[in-house]
Amino acid sequence: MRIGYELIREQLFFRKELRERVSWFIKLRWAAIAFGLAGCWTTYLLGQTLPLLPLNLVFLGIAAYNGVFLLVGRKLESFKPHEVGPFQVFAHAQITLDLLALYLVIYFTGGTASPLLIFVIFHIILAGILLSPLSCYLYGVLVIILLGVLVAVQELALLPRQGIVILGPPYPYGGGTLGAVILLMTMAGAVMVSAFLVTTLKVSLRSKGRELLSVSKELESTNAKLTALYSMVKEMGSRSELQELMDCATRQAARIMGVKACSIKLLDERRQSLRFASTYGLSEDYLSKGGVDIEKSPINKKIVEGHPYVIGRIDEKDYFQYPEDILKEGIASLLCLPLKAEKMILGVFCVYSDETYRFTEDDIEFFSLMTDLTAIAIERLSTEKTKSWFMMKAAHQLRSPLNALYSMLRLLGGGYLGPLDERQKEVLKRCELRVKGLGSLINDLLRVGQGRMDFARMEPHPVDAGAVLAPLMSAYQSQALEKGLEMAFEIQDSLPKVLADERLLDELVTNLVSNAIKYTPRGGKVRVALTAGERDWVRLEVSDTGIGISEQDLPRLFSEFFRGEDAKAFEEQGTGLGLVIVKEILDTLGGTIQVRSKKGQGTTFSCLLPAARPS
Amino acid sequence: MIRGQARGLAGDFGILEIMEGYMGGGADILVIDDDRDLVNSIRIILESRNYSVRTAFNGKEGFERIQEKVPDLIVLDVMMSTDTEGFDLAYRLSNNPDYRNIPIVMTTGFPQKMAEEGPERFQHILGEGWPVSQFLEKPVDPEDLLATVDALLREAGKG
Repeated sequence: MRIGYELIREQLFFRKELRERVSWFIKLRWAAIAFGLAGCWTTYLLGQTLPLLPLNLVFLGIAAYNGVFLLVGRKLESFKPHEVGPFQVFAHAQITLDLLALYLVIYFTGGTASPLLIFVIFHIILAGILLSPLSCYLYGVLVIILLGVLVAVQELALLPRQGIVILGPPYPYGGGTLGAVILLMTMAGAVMVSAFLVTTLKVSLRSKGRELLSVSKELESTNAKLTALYSMVKEMGSRSELQELMDCATRQAARIMGVKACSIKLLDERRQSLRFASTYGLSEDYLSKGGVDIEKSPINKKIVEGHPYVIGRIDEKDYFQYPEDILKEGIASLLCLPLKAEKMILGVFCVYSDETYRFTEDDIEFFSLMTDLTAIAIERLSTEKTKSWFMMKAAHQLRSPLNALYSMLRLLGGGYLGPLDERQKEVLKRCELRVKGLGSLINDLLRVGQGRMDFARMEPHPVDAGAVLAPLMSAYQSQALEKGLEMAFEIQDSLPKVLADERLLDELVTNLVSNAIKYTPRGGKVRVALTAGERDWVRLEVSDTGIGISEQDLPRLFSEFFRGEDAKAFEEQGTGLGLVIVKEILDTLGGTIQVRSKKGQGTTFSCLLPAARPS
Repeated sequence: MIRGQARGLAGDFGILEIMEGYMGGGADILVIDDDRDLVNSIRIILESRNYSVRTAFNGKEGFERIQEKVPDLIVLDVMMSTDTEGFDLAYRLSNNPDYRNIPIVMTTGFPQKMAEEGPERFQHILGEGWPVSQFLEKPVDPEDLLATVDALLREAGKG
C-alpha cells in the first residue's frame, strides 16, 4: 500500500511524460504533412493520375488543425501545467482528427487499395502510448469500424472510387466483396494485435518506471543520510574539546536519525558505572540520576560487553533499572550501541524515540556506522589530551628540581650567603649557565614532541601574516636594542594571505628572529621582510649581519641538536633544536626554506609559504 | 619592641617609616611553595632586604597563616600538589573582602603560553581575569623578585 505522497509523485512523473509526448506529436505531424505533400506531388509529377486537389486540401486541413493544436498546446502549458485532464482530452482530439484525416487520404489514394492503409496502425500505437489501455482498445475498435465503413462505401459504390491507377489489380486477393472482407479481417487482427502489444509494453514499462522511482528514492535517502553523516564526522573532527565533540555528536545524531533525544554515557575509570557525558533532548529530571550501575542494569551490562540493543517498547519487559523514569520522559522505544574504540568499550551511545518500534534493521545498521565513527573521534581526542597533558606534567616535573637548583645557585652566586672569592664566583656562574641550558633543552625538547602532535591536528586557514607578526616585532625591537642591534621590519603592500595557522607562524618567526639576534654581534642589523613570491607563494626573509654559517655546517643545519662550531664559540647557550622546529613547521604548512650565508658576514633565511588563494 | 616604640615616637613625622620603607624592612611576606629549597632560597633573598618572612608548603597551610595574620604580600606558586592549587588559593582570597587586597606575586614554572594550552580548568580560570598582581617565571631571579616585591609593596603603600 503506497503512501499518498509516493502515489502523487508517481502521477506527476507520468503526467510530465504525457505533456511532453503530446507536444512531440504536434511536431511529428508537421513532418507527416510535409512527407505527404511531397509524396503526392512526386507521384503526380512522375506521371500518375491521382486526385491532387482533394489531397492537397486534406493536407492543408491537417496543417490547419495542427496549427490550432500548437496554439492550444502552448496555452495549456502556460495555464494548467499540473492537471492531466486537459492533456488527455487534447490527446483524444489529436488522435481522432488524425484518424479521420488519414481515412480521407486513404480514400483519395485508392481506398482499400491504398498503400497508406497500413498507417492506421500508427494511431493505435499513439493511443497506446498516450492513453490508457482501454482507450487504446477502443480506438482499435473505432479504426476497424471506420475500415468497415470504407469497404462498405466502396462495395456499395456510395462514393466514386479514387486513387492511383498505377497499381494493378485493386484487390490483392482476387475479386469482389470477399477480397474486401478478408482484407478487413486481416487488418482488424493486425490492429488488435498492435493494440495489445503496445499496451502490454506500456504497462510493463510503467511498472519498471515505478520500480526505478522507488529505487531512486531509496538511493536519495541513503545519499542524504551519508552526506549528513559525513558532515557530522567533519564537525566532530573540528572540535578540539571533548565535551564540545560529544555535544556535537548527540545533537547531530538526534537530528540525522530524526528522533527526540540522544545520549552518550561513558564508563568511569573503574568501569563499573556509566555516567551521562552528553545528552540532547533529555530533561534535567532524567539526567539527575547521574549514572547507571552496570551490575544493576542487565541491558547496559550487555551493551558494555559489546552487544547492540534495540527495544521496541519500553514497558514490554523488565529491562531497566528505572523504567518509570524512562516512560515519564516520553520515551517509547530506544536503540543503544556500544561505543567501541580499537580495543575497548568507551561507553554507550543511545537514541530515544517517542514512537514505539521506531528502529528498523536499516536504522540499526546506519546508527552502528555513526557510533563507530563517534567512538573513533572520542578516543582520538582523549588520547591526544592525555598525551599532551602528560607532556606538560613531565615538563613540570623536570623543571621543578632545576628551578630549585638555579635559585640556590643564584643565592650563592649573588652573595646572599656570604662573600665569595673570584674562583668560587666563576664556578657558580658556570653552574648557573649549565642549569639554564638544561632548562632550555627541556623546553625545546618538549616543544618538538608537543609540536609533532599539535602539527598533525592543525588546520591551515588564510592568515594575514603581517598582522600576526607586527606585535612580535615590537617585542623583538626592544630585545635587539638591548643588544645594540638595529632591527627592520618590512611588509609589502597588499600581500596575499598565507595558508597557515597563527601560532605556527608566530613560532616560526620567533625561532628565526631570536637566532638572528643571538648570533649577531653588537652594532649589527637584523631584517625581517614579507614579500609576495612568485605566483602562489609568500616570501618570508630573516636576514642578519651576524657571524654567518660556514659551508661545511650548512648541510647539517637542520639536524637535531646540531650547533655549528662558530655558533658555539660565539654563544655558549643553545639547544640545537630551534631550526628543527622551523623545519617541521614549514613541512606541516607545505612551505620551503633556503639558507644563504657567508662566514663572518651574515645569514639570510628565506622561507616560501603557500598563499591562500582568494575564494 | 624597641622598633614599635620608635615607630610610635616618630609616627607623626613618619621618618622611621620612610626609612623602613627605603630599606623594605617591616613588611611581612608570606611565601607559599611546595618545594622547600625554593622556599628557603626566596626566604633568604627577602630577608636580605629586611622583610620578615613566613612560610607555608601548601594551599591549606597558606590559608591558615593568612588567617593568623594578614601578610603584606604573598609569593605564591601556581602548581603544587594539584595542578591549580595556587590559583585556587588566589581565587579564594579574591573572593574574601579581608584578603582581597593583598598583592600576590605568582611564580610559575610554566611559560604563559603553555598555561593557555592547558586543561579546561586553566582556560576557565584564565577567562575570568588574573586574581594575581604579577607573574614571575621560574627560575626566579633574585633581583627580579626583589624589584617586583618592592614595587608592589610601594604601590600598596606598605613598602
